[in-house]
Order: sequence, then C-alpha cells, then structure tokens
Amino acid sequence: MVKAAITTPAATNPFIPFPFVVMSRRRETRDTVTLRLRPLRNVRLLAQPGQFMMLSVIGVGEVPISVSGLPRRPGELEHTIRAVGSVTRHLVALRPGDYIGVRGPFGTSWPLQLAHGQDVLLIAGGLGFAPLRSALLSILRERWRYRQVIALYGARSPTDLLYRRDLSRWQQRPDLILRMTVDHPDQYWRGQVGVVPNLIRQVAAFFEPANTIAMICGPEIMMRFTIRELQKHGVPDEHIFLSLERNMQCAIGLCGHCQLGPFFLCKDGPVLPYSRLAPFSEIREF
Amino acid sequence: MSDRELEEFLAVHPFTADLDENQRALLAKQARLAHYQPDEYLIQEGRPANAFYLIVQGLVSIELFVPGHGPRPLQTVEGGSAVGWSWMLAPSRWEFDARALERTTAVVFDAERLRALLLEDCCLGLRLVQRLLFLVTERLRAARLQLLDLYGPPRER
Repeated sequence: MVKAAITTPAATNPFIPFPFVVMSRRRETRDTVTLRLRPLRNVRLLAQPGQFMMLSVIGVGEVPISVSGLPRRPGELEHTIRAVGSVTRHLVALRPGDYIGVRGPFGTSWPLQLAHGQDVLLIAGGLGFAPLRSALLSILRERWRYRQVIALYGARSPTDLLYRRDLSRWQQRPDLILRMTVDHPDQYWRGQVGVVPNLIRQVAAFFEPANTIAMICGPEIMMRFTIRELQKHGVPDEHIFLSLERNMQCAIGLCGHCQLGPFFLCKDGPVLPYSRLAPFSEIREF
Repeated sequence: MSDRELEEFLAVHPFTADLDENQRALLAKQARLAHYQPDEYLIQEGRPANAFYLIVQGLVSIELFVPGHGPRPLQTVEGGSAVGWSWMLAPSRWEFDARALERTTAVVFDAERLRALLLEDCCLGLRLVQRLLFLVTERLRAARLQLLDLYGPPRER
C-alpha cells in the first residue's frame, strides 16, 4: 500500500491555509475557549511552544493565535482563543465538526533548549498564560532536563483563571512551584490578591538569578514591571524572554504591520530576549 | 519568647535583616511573637493603630469591610513582608482591616514604644522610615497596576 505523502508548509504557499476540523472545544472562561484541531488532509504543521498560527474563518477573516498545548497525535493543534473581535468571536463559537483554515507555524519559540540545566521562571498574566502553557507542558514532559521550575500566574479574577483543571493538577506536583494571584477576588477566593511582579519576591529563594531563564507573556505593562523585578533580583537581560503581541497579518515579514524598531515580530518574534528589545523599550508602545 | 530568639527572627526577616546587630537588639526589646488563626484579625479599621507587624509566615489579607458584601480583599501580604504604618502618623487609627487567611506568625512591635525608640535613636529611625517608605511605594505601585485592570477585555480587533 502506498502511503499518502505528508504535506509540510515548506512545500506550499505560506499564504494558503490548510483545512482543519475542530475536534473538541473546552470552555475556559466566560469569553475564552480552547479548541483542539485536526488536519483534514495529511499535513503536519509542527508548531513549537511560543509559535503562532494564523487561524481563519471563511468570509470573516484571519487572526494570529499562539499554540497553547502539545499535540496528542501528530498534526493536531491546540489553541486558546478569547472573543475580542469579529474573527475571534466566530472562532470561539465553533463547535466540534466545524471547519477552520490554518496556516503556519510562524515566528520564534520559547528557548526551551537554552533552559536545559537551568532554573526556569514562567510568568504569565491573563491570556498570556496560553502561549506559556505549551512551554510548561513541554518542560513537564521532560522535567528531568531542568532544575527548579516555577510558574507565576496573575488573572483578573478567580473566574478568569484559565486551565483550572491543569492548575489544580499542577498544584499537587512536588517538582513544580506554582503561585497564582488575582486582582479582584470573589468571596470564595482564599489565595493571593495583587499583581504578578509581587510573586517574584516570594519565590526568590528558589531560583539562582544567574542560572535562570525567565519567560514572560502578558499585557505589556505587566511585562515591564515584571522585567524590573527580575532585574532587581539579578536575572540578566539576555535570560529574560518576552512574547510580544502585535498586529500580525502576513506572518512572514512582508507587510510590516507588526514592526517594532528593526524587528518584524511575526518572524523575528513573537519571542525575543529582553537584551535585544531593551534599546527599544523607550518606545511608548514597547 | 526571649529577646535573643526574637533577634534571630529579625536577623532573617527582609525588613530588618540588614540592620546592625545592636539596632536589631533594640527592636527586639519592643517586640513579641504572635500567632493568628485563619480569619483572625490582626488589624481592624477604626481602632487605635498601636502595633507594627512583620509577617514571618502565613498570608494576610488587607481589606475593607463593605456592608452587605462582607470583607473585600485589596491585596495579600505574605511571609517576609510587613503590615501597618498608620501608627507613624496622627491620629494613629487603622484605615483598613488585616485578616489572616491562613495560620500566620508575626513579630509584633508595640507602636508607642517603637515611636519613642525611633525618636531616641534617629539613625535607626531614619532607616526604619526609609523601609516603611519603600513598603508604601511598593503597595502604591501594586494598587495603581490593579487599577489599570490590565487583564480586562482588550480592544476590538
């Protein structure tokens, strides 16, 4: 029997989306869902944690969405999407069996190999936990490669926490330090209240700054204050990695919509070390 | 608990760790160790601000009681931090509640004796006021960031 050839993006036009089908849909919060996708054809779009795909709805449009999970089977993709505009509202409304267009993967990934043998700090705010979840899952799958692993996560309120099933499972792990905080607690919340940078101080005794790789994703103001806190603790700029969100459209560095200084964030980013971004941190919309 | 044991707590607490040994010894004389059960109040709004707390371990909620809604937590403070500066300024009344969320241990200073000590030893006074100012700045920064509602609904795409 002759096996069907596997199509890879390199062999195709990067502007043409592949058809995928929604396999499952999990509601995370009031306006956010996680979709698991399977290719209709024999294609493998192998995305690394930190990279993004362009997801499209026919007749509506296309948006960049980071991968938020690891594939359970080759070729599968997992994305967490928040209903913000017209395209994302359509994506969030998709049901198992619905079709979707996918092109990618695009951009740079989290520096997981660089973090081998190092302490790892994953710091997420809000929906920024989605791209970091894929990194955390990857790290936990090969936990032995890393020293201390610390995940810090801030959300608006307890009902805005993503991946609650994962969080309660991770809280039981002796090989992971997980701290969460919310800005606006409800009456049932018994955990921490406050901003994410405050959590860094609490775990400072558990990581060696010079041997730590920090990966941050969240609103840019949260990332700015987080960077300052990491710097205060002595984490070198070249060990601090950020994922920046911009208006990615072509996703291959042609259109320039996502330009920041000399970088096209769709191809030079979205993940970049702060040491490269620092000269441009004076730009108001860093 | 002896002064010597309290000094040992002060030697490792971030608020006092880098003071001189003599300064820590002076502070230890004004202090006692206290334990709080979950939901026990360290501080209650409106009451005289007669103490200063260094949290050794546990979790404390800084909050306001809203009639009809109950306690509304604004921020939590964990081991290694400090609670309460209203004792520094007239009329020395607490402006917020501080409630233990889990079993909490704190070094508690008597405010009146602490004020007297800081006036007597201006060098120690300045160092403690600098630390308190740092704490106030940190809390203000955190409160400002919370006000921004950073994780709220983003703009439409």
